[in-house]
Amino acid sequence: MISLRGVSLVYPNGVRALDGIDLEIGKGDFVFLVGHSGTGKSTLLRLLYREMAPTTGEITVDGIRVECLRRSRVPILRRHIGVVFQDFKLLTDKTVWENVAFALQVTGAHTRDVIRQVPRVLDLVGLSHKSRMYPGELSGGEQQRAAIARALVNNPKILLCDEPTGNLDPSNTTEIMELLLRINLKGTTIVVATHNQAVVDRMRRRVVRLDNGRIVTDEERGYYFLGLGQSQILSG
Amino acid sequence: MQATAIGTVTVTIVLLGAFLYARAVLVHFGADVLNQIEISAYLQDGTSPARTEAMRAALARDPRVLSVQYVPKKEGLQQLRRRLKGEIDTSILTENPLPNMFRVRVRTPELVPAVAAEIRKMPGVQYVNYGQDVVGKLLQLVAVARRVGIAVIALFILVAGIIISNTIRLTVFARRREIAIMQLVGATNAYIRMPFICEGLLDGLLGASLAVAALEVGRASLVPRLVAALPFVASNVVNVNLGSLVPQLLLVGAAVGLIASWISVGRFLRT
Repeated sequence: MISLRGVSLVYPNGVRALDGIDLEIGKGDFVFLVGHSGTGKSTLLRLLYREMAPTTGEITVDGIRVECLRRSRVPILRRHIGVVFQDFKLLTDKTVWENVAFALQVTGAHTRDVIRQVPRVLDLVGLSHKSRMYPGELSGGEQQRAAIARALVNNPKILLCDEPTGNLDPSNTTEIMELLLRINLKGTTIVVATHNQAVVDRMRRRVVRLDNGRIVTDEERGYYFLGLGQSQILSG
Repeated sequence: MQATAIGTVTVTIVLLGAFLYARAVLVHFGADVLNQIEISAYLQDGTSPARTEAMRAALARDPRVLSVQYVPKKEGLQQLRRRLKGEIDTSILTENPLPNMFRVRVRTPELVPAVAAEIRKMPGVQYVNYGQDVVGKLLQLVAVARRVGIAVIALFILVAGIIISNTIRLTVFARRREIAIMQLVGATNAYIRMPFICEGLLDGLLGASLAVAALEVGRASLVPRLVAALPFVASNVVNVNLGSLVPQLLLVGAAVGLIASWISVGRFLRT
């Protein structure tokens, strides 16, 4: 579903943000990207939805060669990918319903489809009863659920999450992660860049660890800290 | 913000409109003067009446000629006396220095030089005058006005475009979050551009409409007073109205708004 081969990104000032990334993510996978701030987690996600282009290397997302995509084709790529951010990026002057519908309308969808799809995703994220409220009237967790609903309304095969629980308290964090898990179980490929140790350790999913723009480890059922699993096994 | 853009277009189009109007008046005035041009053909003394009549008949037959009037020297002197009355003592004109002459009027001012040249070649014609200097200068003036006009108009439109484009850029900047989100969820650039283009178009049209209204009010109140104050201004200037300028100015306003917003949004979308 997602494939990166020899991907490097060098800024004009010479800083290497990403260095020789090779990564394969299969359909329906759930992958955590972990690492210190500034190690390139967010940058890697940005390359996937073509917010940035790599200096060298090949990127394929859902069969689309991303790095050589023409500017006019970028919107088509984005419709295949849902993106969720730490700061939600909701429009504050639009209701939850409008925020979600907006993502469909910009693709030129029929009103008929909007009326059918929006309630479906709002129901999925558990916000049907708050669809007429504005983002400012919602809790952080609810805002993030609204953002997830917006990301999903186009039925993307891939959901990219950049620190989705960064602004949330532990109980909201748990809710969001459970929601992501449910979405994953329906077959959506999910990539989550996170700092949250508790989330990663509890979920026991594939963990790709970045350091200084390189992939240092890639574990099938990993922990946030390298080797923590083994030490826990030893101590337990 | 929007008021700034509309106001700028209004001011620009008022200036542009006033300029174009003044030019139209000048052209109208110039055409008026040119239409009154007549060719004076002075005959050699001693040209026989038969020869004179043959010339008159030949000129009257010419399809380019509107009218031919024969002015014998006696009548010419009377006319001169009448014209100079009160200015100089006409009693000193004891001898008649004037030759017999024809006054010839042609259908369009452009025909004057050619017809004058032909008359000059006729036997018995001593001298032809149609105010060569004045006509030449007038034609030159109109040509210069036209050239300067195009430069000034281009400058005006450029300035208006830059200001609208800056205003739209501010609007775009204020809505950058919304635009970023639109791009994120897969909106095409055309879709994102549309509302801004519409806004630019509307700003331009609205500004131009206000300008046209202001120009019409200004023209209706100022021009008659101007004509009353300046007696040498032909009163038919009052009849020059905005007419065909109105759609032109509206079109300029709309085009400037459209192009300026297109450029400013485009620059933002590329980053």
